[in-house]
Amino acid sequence: MESPLKLDPHGESLMQQFREMLPTLKLLEQEAYEQLHRVLDEQDIYVTAFEHRIKSEHSLAGKLELKGAKYKSIHDITDLVGLRVITFYTDEVDKVAAIAKRIFDIDWKESVDKRKLHQLNSFGYNSLHYICRLKTGGPRFELQMRTALQHVWSTIEHDIGYKNDVKIPNEFIRQFNRLAGMLELIDDEFSRLRLVLTDYRRQVQSLVKNGHLNEVPLSADTFRSYLELHPFDRLNRRIAAVNQAEIYTVSLVPFLSLLESFGLKTLGDVQDFIDNNSDDAYQLALSHLAITDIDILSSSAALQYLCMVYVLKHGDGRDGLKSIFDKINGESDANGMLADLMLEQAGTQPFIQKKL
Amino acid sequence: MNTVLKEENNDLVMYFEGRLDTASAPETEKAVAPLKESSGRDIILDCSKLDYISSAGLRIFLSILKSAKPKGDHVYIRGISDSIRAVFAMTGFVNLFEFK
Repeated sequence: MESPLKLDPHGESLMQQFREMLPTLKLLEQEAYEQLHRVLDEQDIYVTAFEHRIKSEHSLAGKLELKGAKYKSIHDITDLVGLRVITFYTDEVDKVAAIAKRIFDIDWKESVDKRKLHQLNSFGYNSLHYICRLKTGGPRFELQMRTALQHVWSTIEHDIGYKNDVKIPNEFIRQFNRLAGMLELIDDEFSRLRLVLTDYRRQVQSLVKNGHLNEVPLSADTFRSYLELHPFDRLNRRIAAVNQAEIYTVSLVPFLSLLESFGLKTLGDVQDFIDNNSDDAYQLALSHLAITDIDILSSSAALQYLCMVYVLKHGDGRDGLKSIFDKINGESDANGMLADLMLEQAGTQPFIQKKL
Repeated sequence: MNTVLKEENNDLVMYFEGRLDTASAPETEKAVAPLKESSGRDIILDCSKLDYISSAGLRIFLSILKSAKPKGDHVYIRGISDSIRAVFAMTGFVNLFEFK
């Protein structure tokens, strides 16, 4: 196929070499992608995008038209096959680079860390480019590694034609660089924040593990860590024993907002909530289940009965019970019926009688 | 126990009539198989004429939910009686399903 741009004979010769190489390039593209993808998966590096392509004839023709004389042979062009890994965080760019160094041979003369090219007083295109070769040999290919924000910057830069021949007024270049600087700062802040949060999670997990529950604020993260201690298992097993029931595991996280609505502020509060209400919750569950032959229970049963006991002890009655079902099952008039039923069956419980 | 499967507004609707207990569970298990094989459609379990549900019935409903969730399909329970809703509530399964 004739390239749409007019090439000189040398350019046409390089284009012909490219066409002849296409089957090899397709195999290289696939192999390089699979090798890197496999190791990223093994290392649990979650990337926002992993693109791969063979240079189009149109793009190659443009390159040859501009600087074809620079290349003696098609093998001098290193980006005929390109891979691009886009990560969430800046430190993950370095991790991907470390993996690439391990699994590919890197041509250090041609590879560029554009992140280090800037003058101290300038900002701009930040990206890490390695020119690689498979360990088994073959043509070279380009691997670009950048963060999502670097990618945004680069794409916009390309889109608005920063690199075109038209001279962009300094005022706009300055505006563009200010934005680039801002993106760089945001990138660094996201990475820093992630480090801080990871550190915080470790501290919380350690506090939970060592039983310092009063020092741990109740939140989605801390509640998840707390659930790893299986705090409701004992009560669930007690309730299940009533009918020798199987316990069907479900997530307890939806109950978090309910616990927060009770004013529980720390995991210590949650532990006290369990300790102070377990016996009554068991008795209430017993009154419901003992008259049935149901032998399957949700693992949320213990927590649900604890919540019911808690609102009844606090005098919240039918409205309190309805609000439990509204929160865990969505608002519905039918929840009023459930509240009535639960209230009726709870009426005989000693903890209710004491309040009367 | 009678079951009827219908398509309504691109949803799969299974009508249950009678008692869903240990005796009727094996037959019902076979009847609901198409629900587990479906993908990209919401499932409605119409319980308007369901008189009773035992643990075996709960297990069948849970198995339908378990196969639908990873596919992003919803399972709705429709027309449930107060007594059956109470069974879902006392076992803690009330928050697993969506009720219509």
